[in-house]
Order: sequence, then structure tokens, then C-alpha cells
Amino acid sequence: MTSPRITKNLRVIISSIILVVAVFVIAGGLFYHQIIKYDVYLIQSENNRIRIQPIIPKRGVIYDRDWRVIADNRLSFTVSMVPFERKEGVTISRLSALLGMDSLTIEKRAKANFISNYIPSPIKRGLDVDVISVLEEKGEEYPGITYSVESVRRYEKGISAETFIGYVGEISNEEMESDPEKGYRPGSLVGKKGIEKTYDQHLRGIEGTEYIEISARGKIVGPYSGREKIPAVPGADLSLTVDLDLQRFIVAAFHDFDTLYCCGAVVAMDPRNGEILGFASFPQLDPNIFSGPIPSDIWQNIISDTTHPLLNRPIAGLYPPGSTSKLLTAGAALELGKVTDQTLLKPCYGGMQFGNRFFKCWDPAGHGRLDMYHAIEQSCDVYFYQVGQLLGVDPWSEYALKCGFGKMTAVDIPGEFNGIVPNSDYLDNLYGPKKWSPFLILNLAIGQGELVVTPLQLTQFYCGLANGGLVYKPHFLREIRHYDETVVKIAPQPSFRLPFTHENLGILDEGLKLVVQGEKGTARGRRKKEYNISGKTGTAQNPHGEDHSWFVAFAPSEQPQIVVAAIVENGGHGSDVAAPLVGKIIDFYLKNKVPDFVRADKDEEI
Amino acid sequence: MLEYKHIDWKLVLAALALSVIGIFLIYSAQYDVTTGNSMNFYSRQIIWLAAALVFFFVLIHVPLRLLDFLSYIVYVGALILLALVLFIGHAKYGAARWFSLGPIHLTPSDVAKLALLMALARFLGYSKLPPESKRRLFVSAALAVIPAMLIVRQPDLGTSLVFVVLLLSLWFWAGLSPLYLILIISPLLSLLAAFHWITWVVYLIILIAGILIIRPSFIFGFYTVLANLAFGIITPYLWNSLADYQKLRIMTFLDPGRDPRQAGYQIIQSKIAIGSGGLLGKGYLEGSQSQLKFLPERHTDFIFSVLGEEFGFIGTIIVVLIFAYIFYRGVAIASRCRSKFASNLAWGALTILFFQFFVNVGMTFGLTPVTGLPLPFLSYGGTSLILSWTLVGFLILADYYWTEY
Repeated sequence: MTSPRITKNLRVIISSIILVVAVFVIAGGLFYHQIIKYDVYLIQSENNRIRIQPIIPKRGVIYDRDWRVIADNRLSFTVSMVPFERKEGVTISRLSALLGMDSLTIEKRAKANFISNYIPSPIKRGLDVDVISVLEEKGEEYPGITYSVESVRRYEKGISAETFIGYVGEISNEEMESDPEKGYRPGSLVGKKGIEKTYDQHLRGIEGTEYIEISARGKIVGPYSGREKIPAVPGADLSLTVDLDLQRFIVAAFHDFDTLYCCGAVVAMDPRNGEILGFASFPQLDPNIFSGPIPSDIWQNIISDTTHPLLNRPIAGLYPPGSTSKLLTAGAALELGKVTDQTLLKPCYGGMQFGNRFFKCWDPAGHGRLDMYHAIEQSCDVYFYQVGQLLGVDPWSEYALKCGFGKMTAVDIPGEFNGIVPNSDYLDNLYGPKKWSPFLILNLAIGQGELVVTPLQLTQFYCGLANGGLVYKPHFLREIRHYDETVVKIAPQPSFRLPFTHENLGILDEGLKLVVQGEKGTARGRRKKEYNISGKTGTAQNPHGEDHSWFVAFAPSEQPQIVVAAIVENGGHGSDVAAPLVGKIIDFYLKNKVPDFVRADKDEEI
Repeated sequence: MLEYKHIDWKLVLAALALSVIGIFLIYSAQYDVTTGNSMNFYSRQIIWLAAALVFFFVLIHVPLRLLDFLSYIVYVGALILLALVLFIGHAKYGAARWFSLGPIHLTPSDVAKLALLMALARFLGYSKLPPESKRRLFVSAALAVIPAMLIVRQPDLGTSLVFVVLLLSLWFWAGLSPLYLILIISPLLSLLAAFHWITWVVYLIILIAGILIIRPSFIFGFYTVLANLAFGIITPYLWNSLADYQKLRIMTFLDPGRDPRQAGYQIIQSKIAIGSGGLLGKGYLEGSQSQLKFLPERHTDFIFSVLGEEFGFIGTIIVVLIFAYIFYRGVAIASRCRSKFASNLAWGALTILFFQFFVNVGMTFGLTPVTGLPLPFLSYGGTSLILSWTLVGFLILADYYWTEY
């Protein structure tokens, strides 16, 4: 056996080296962590001590034009989780029991709403006080769980508010990514539709931030002294152009149909400035159901409903305008000199032969020989077939576009559709070049066939007719009242001018007046003693069932203050269903809302 | 009669300085920011320090020869104490490490460390057998293994490590070649290498080559290879037999970021505390990691992190230098002693102080695993403080009687 002995001196040297190296390793490690990596650890330690608690500002209240509340807030509690402070295997299971949510959903929510380890992620909104009182008393048993008072939207019910106000909901990933500049973060409540969406930046205000010192056990020590609290700026209040009384009246009037007609749209607008006074889509949805998580059965009912309550009919409902667009045809023909107001076209015997096909008039009794005024008054199809034939597809189509059809009105709520104004290119695409009948224009001229419009486009067109040709951009926002009391009034914005001369506009207006005031007017039943109404009925052919009933009107005829368009789906003839509805609405508005409404106006006329 | 002027007062002063720093740090570690008070740990530590100083004062009056004579008696007494703790100890953090004597909690493992040190110092000091004699190695190993077994069963991994290190260190100091030491601990290396079969095969080849170069006795070599094979093969079984918290500690040591909310939490928080202290520290009672209780076990195992956070690199390096001075004195004393017992005693005292210092301080920034070993002089705890002061006492005695044979 070899025995490699070492001397005491060697042992001292070896052990001294070990000790010196070890002390240097320790000192080096300390130097590395405390000097070199100091910045990194300082930030980590800063984060450790504070919880960054967002202060959610009060969302702006939405009022009608007379500062009556349409959408305000009620207080509700939101339970959130601070990821860093949560305790594995404890927090989630206890929270699950408290909230009655399964753990997996909580995990998903926490992940989806993750902002930072130190910022609470909202888990459940709209909670009752009793849940909060548990957290208040036994907070220690729920490590990492915090709650905050948040406002939940409360909407005026039964006024079809969902249609234009929209609703708010938790931000989606797409919304987050599309607007990285706007200060949204996971779990933020944002406007999802309507006014809530368009004016979200005004309504939401500016989030504040509170820095709360937190102990490792999740106990709140108090406000963190090192960083100034940033107060929230409450959202701005909005006053809309909508008149709540009128809006209520519209909804009530439509609901008078009861089960007879479920679906349709009504738009009321001030032709002098484009202010939308009333705006309703039927069937209506209560926007309050969107304020919290929507129970899946309710959601299933909504999306499987064949009446499509989610369809925002005034701007996204596409209908043939029917006879209401005869004014467009007439105007275009006058402008292009195809006819004059006095021109008498071939008589109507309940229809007319074009080529090898007989085109019927709506009235099988026939209208005889008519000039333009009476053709509009009686809505004679045969007259307008002939005008259409004189015009041709493309000239007609050009005028339709110039009258605001086929493109959005740029109203200040999202979700608007263009509609379709066919021209020969469009028809070539649809049917193949030259494969479509040259008589197709006859149908277009009376507002049937490929032409589809939104009720808002039609309202806008009639605003132009009522307002001497000048069309203002339809809008909902009237006034913004900021938190600091500064007020911004929204000025009316001219949108475009109808492509008709003053003289020709006068002719069209005269025709429109006859529709109600004339002996044979299709809407003569709407005549009022106190004022004159101008308007046009329409019947939109519906291949799926009963025709849709249109009526667009303005009053008083001499100085129009309101234009109302209504479509009642499956309502049949315009004069039967839509006209009485619009008549009631106009009557209500003029009698209740126009203080200087003068009865004498009419007496002078007659 | 003891001549005070021959006592190494500078060494005593160094130990005293560390103890006082420790009390200040314990005050800070248990300071409550919301009430502005500190829990009474620091006042208890003051009493413990007074007790430790009294004990130290008494100890240095004991002649070294009497200590030598009492070695085995103290050792047997400690074994009995350990056995008692197994039955009536208080469970805390998964480990029954406390032993109540009325209001006083003793950690018998600390007592056992002293006893083992004395027993080994005596046995290795008096044995006439050559350092690599099988009998000498076996008996001294048995002296260490018996208390270690009792503690592992409690279980406390850190203290067991102290025993192993103390044994190896004293073997080395008593003349065993470092090459033999490597062969002796080779089964442990085998155990580590066996986590993957490739590393294990490479390791075995190196081991056999080493044996062929050193050429120990056939039986020594044979048993070494056999032990290596056995340890390598039983690794998975051994792993499974570890308590969960032990597995966790090992895994946490290997990868602290694995689960920041649980096992690695302590290390991460400690690193943040130390690192964020920077050069000058955040100031006394101003360390957020400590004051907001992010730092775990701050008055005991992680007291050094409180120092690092509140006094920065300046503070930590001063404490490290004071320890370094004690280690320097330890080497000097141990190498000067003429009596083998005194030399071994001083060397063992140095080993325990150094090992605990290194493991504890290293742990606070992730260099060494979390073993639950306190920092000598600074960590809260009466027995730990008394142990540290006893070790200083051994150094003082060895130094004082260095001329004796």
C-alpha cells in the first residue's frame, strides 16, 4: 500500500487557498449581485412592494337632446386577482367556491385579462355586496384576491336604445391590437356598438393609477409613498340629438302593431341640420343584457331568432325602396330634360306592354294619362316605367349615387351598409354581359329589383328634398360636456347637395305634397287640419313573403322640421301600415316638440 | 489562573462585532412598518448573547486537558439528547429541530456538532493508526454517522452536511491525503453523475483511472468501486426516498425560476433583497424586501439578505471581512498548536464556522442550496449563538494553550 502523505505546511497552504478562494467567491457573488446587477434587482424590488391598482373613471353619461338620461352607471363590484400574490392551490379553489365559477374558467379569465404580475386582472364583474363582504372579512383566506367598485352601464329600457347607443363589454384581443395607442388593456370595458363605440374615447375618460404597498402575504399596507397617485379623469357626458319622448313614442307606436308586424325600422331626422331625432329598429333588444356576461341560453335565443334582433335595420337593413324612389327617377328625368313637369306620358290602363311582357301598375284600375305631379300623387307605375325607359340604366344609376344611395351616410355609429345601386357594369357582372333585359330599368325606376337602400339613406334623401336640396350629415352627437365643464357643441355638417335645380326640387315637392294633400293621393288618409304633410308611400316587393310597407314624409310641407321614414316588414302597401305610423310620429313631434308650431301656416295656404 | 493578556481579544472582538450586528439586523427583520415596533426576537437574542458570553467566559476557564478528557462523555450525552428529540421534539417546517426545556428551545443538532467535534478531535488526535488505516477511518466515520443518522431521521439535511464536512475536514487535517478524500467521497459523486447514464459511465472511467494511478490497497480500491456502482444504481431509489421538501430544495437549488411562487420564492426574494441593496443599501429599517416581508425567514436563515438590502455591498463586505479575519485566525491557531487534540479542535471549529458561513451566505444569492443552516453569530437563535461562541471559545483555548502537548 502506497501512502502519499502530505506535510502540515502543504495542508496549511491547501486550506488557505481554499479559504481565500471561497471568500473571494462570496465577495465576487455579492459584487455581481449588488453592483453589476443592481439595476435589475432594484426594479424587481420596486415591483415587489407595490400593487398597481388602476382607478377606473366614471364612464360618461349619455343624455338625450334635453339632458334626459339614456345611459348611466350603477355601481357594481368586480373581483380581480393579482397574479403575483396568488397562492397556488389555494386562491383559485377558494375563489371558485366563493364565486360559483369553475376553476378552469377562473384560470382562463386570469390568463385572458393578464396585464402584469402586480396589476389585478378582473375575474368577475357585477357582483353582489354579500360576496364582497366575505372578502372584506376574510380577505386573508383569499390571497391575491382584490375587489374594486366599478360602474356597470344601465340603459333606458324599451326605447330601442341598443340600436344606436350600443353597449359596452370587455375588450377583445382584436380590439386591443387594432388600437394600441388608446390605452386599453386586457379586461378594459369598451364600447362595442353604437354611440358607446364611436365615442368610447370621450366616454371612458382617462384611467388613473394608484400604487398600493403590499406585503408578501397580500396585506395592504397603504398607499405607496414613492409614486404619486394619478387620479382618474371621468369620462365626458354626451348629449345626443335624439329626443327621448319622440323615441319612446316611436317605439310605442310600432308596438301598437302588437303581434301583427314584428320587424321594421323608423328614422326621424331634422332636415335642417341632420340631427337624428328618433332611431329605432324592431324587434328591439334590451342593451342591459349585454352589461354583464350573457347567459348562453339567452345568447342562443338571440342568434337563432329568425327576426334577427341583432340586425341594426336603419343602417344595416337593406330593402328595395319601392315607390319612395320614384322621386329619384323623376328628378333625374327632369334634370336630363327627358320630361317636364307638364309632359303627359302614355296613359295607364292598369299596366303597359313593353316588348313581349306586360308590366302591371299597382292599381289594376289604372290611372289614365298623368303629368308628373299626379303621377307622384298616385304613384303610377306605368308613368315611371316610361320615365325609366327614357332615362336608361346608367344615367338613372348616376343620379341614384348622387342622391346618396349606394354609399354610407357616414352617420356617427358603426355598422352601416352601403346598399346597392346597380348600373350596367353591375348588371353585366350579375347576369353576364348583355344577358339582362333592357326592360330591367322599368323595375329600377319604380324602386324594385336590384336597387337596395337602408332606411337611413332614404331618410337622408328626403331630408334633401325637404331642405332645398342640401343634405346634412346624419348624426347623433349634439354636445360633449367634458369633466372640466367645457362644452363642445357639434355643428351640423353639410354632406352633399341633391343633383336637382331649385326649380325641379319645387316640382318634386309639389308632387310629394299632393301624395297627402291631393284628392287621389296615396296617403291622403294622413291629412291633418293643422299642417300640411308631404311624403311618399312605397311597397317593397319581398320574394320571401308579404311586401314591406314604406312611408317617408316631412312636415310641415312649407318649412319642414322633421323627416320620418318607416319601413314595416311584411306590412304590405305603404299607405296601409307605414303611412299611419309615420303620420302619428310626425303629429306627436310637431304638436309636442315644436313650440313655435303655428296652426295659421296652413290657413294661409288654402 | 487564566492570564487575560494572552487571550486573542481581537478574535473575541470580531465575534462580538458580528453578534451585535446580528442583533441590529434581527431588530430590523422583525420590525413592523405599520406599528413601528419590532417583535421581541431582538431582545431575546440580546439575552441569548449575554448567555453565550457567560458560557464563553466559563468555557475559556476550562483547562484544555479537562475538555480533552470530557470529549467522549459530552458525545454520549449529545446522542441521548438527539434520541429524545426524535420522540418529543417540536415539528416546525416539516422538521423536528427544536427541543424544549421549559421556555428555552434547544436545537440538539447544534449540541451534537460540538460533541462530534470534540470526539473526533480526540479520537484522531490520539489514534496511532496511519491516516488511511481502515479501522481509523471506520471508527471516526461511525462517530459521525450515528448522530448524523439521528438528525437525518428528524430530518435536517443541512446539519448532516456539516457532519460529513467536519469529518472529511478533520481527516484531511489529521493527515489523510486529499486523493484518498476524493476516493472516499467518490460514491457521492457517483450519485450525482448517475442522474444520466452517459455522465455516469464517463465518471466511472475517470474513477477507475484514478484508482490505478493512486494505487491504494486492493480492498480500499475494491470497496470504492463497489460503493460507486451501488450509489450510482440506487440513485433513483434514494431520490424517491427523500422527503418532498428535500427533493424540492434540491430541485429549487438547481432551478430557482422553476416555480417562483413556491420553492424558488425564497431564493428569488433573497436575491432581489441583496441585489437591490446596491453599494450603500436602502438604509436601516428601509429595506422593502425585508420590511414588507417578501423575504422569508429573515431573522434566521436569511439574515444576511437583510444586511445586504439595508447596508448594501459595503455592509456585506465588512461582515465577510470580519468572518475572513476569524478564518485567518482559525488557520493560524490550528497550525500553531503542538497538541494534536487542540489543533484538531481549532481546525474543526474553523470548519464548522466556515462551512456554515459559506453555505448560508452563498444560499442568499443562489450559489448554494437552501439547507436551513444559520449564519454563525448573526442568525437569530440561542443554540446557534451559543454554538458559535463555543467554537470561538475552542479557538481561544487552543490558541491560549498552543504550547501544550
